[in-house]
Amino acid sequence: MIPLLVLWAGLGQRQANATSLVAIIPIAIAAVPIYYFRAGAPQVDLRVALFLVIGSMVGAYIGARTLKSIPERQLRIGVAIVMVLVGIKQVALP
Amino acid sequence: MTLDDLFAVIGGLGAGLLSGAIGIGGGLVFVPILTIGFRVAQTVAQGTSLAAIVPTALVGGITHLRQGNANVTAAWWLGGAGVVGAIGGALLAVHLESGVLARVFGAFYIGAALLLLQRALTTRESEPPAPSS
Repeated sequence: MIPLLVLWAGLGQRQANATSLVAIIPIAIAAVPIYYFRAGAPQVDLRVALFLVIGSMVGAYIGARTLKSIPERQLRIGVAIVMVLVGIKQVALP
Repeated sequence: MTLDDLFAVIGGLGAGLLSGAIGIGGGLVFVPILTIGFRVAQTVAQGTSLAAIVPTALVGGITHLRQGNANVTAAWWLGGAGVVGAIGGALLAVHLESGVLARVFGAFYIGAALLLLQRALTTRESEPPAPSS
């Protein structure tokens, strides 16, 4: 979604990152029941999920607050590096 | 609270930081943490990751909205299209070999990342911030 927003819709990198995360909210909420009901029994490790969420909620808040102070160019390079790493992982170990 | 729980909190913190700043849901980070770090099976890792993304995206997304970082109109379109896409994708994924889909997305990520990188290197640092709408 981020490359779509930057390269096609022409948004700034900062706005694209923030917009992407806002758009994930309804998608994730819609995906949870689809995933669970199709897969039969819900495959969730609730204990790990709980502790992951404790950390990730704090992290997401700090990350979102920090976004304003990261320069556009550095942000774009950071996004590109993360995407290349994920892309390589996906192609090599799908 | 065990040592594993502590590692989960630390891993979650890292995933959350990336999620808030980069704008990813967190699944990209949660799944490898679970499979490599906690030796959880792939399906359980995906289910657990999906459950963890909702509160993470809520906190990050609402913070962005309050900070005025997000383009609300674009988020509506993207979110709406994403919901349709998620349903379509889930239905399609049943008929496709999962490895094929993952590789196609991987190739797409690399291509898009190179375009972003090229744009980052060709734009000047003094570029004015995009007007918020």
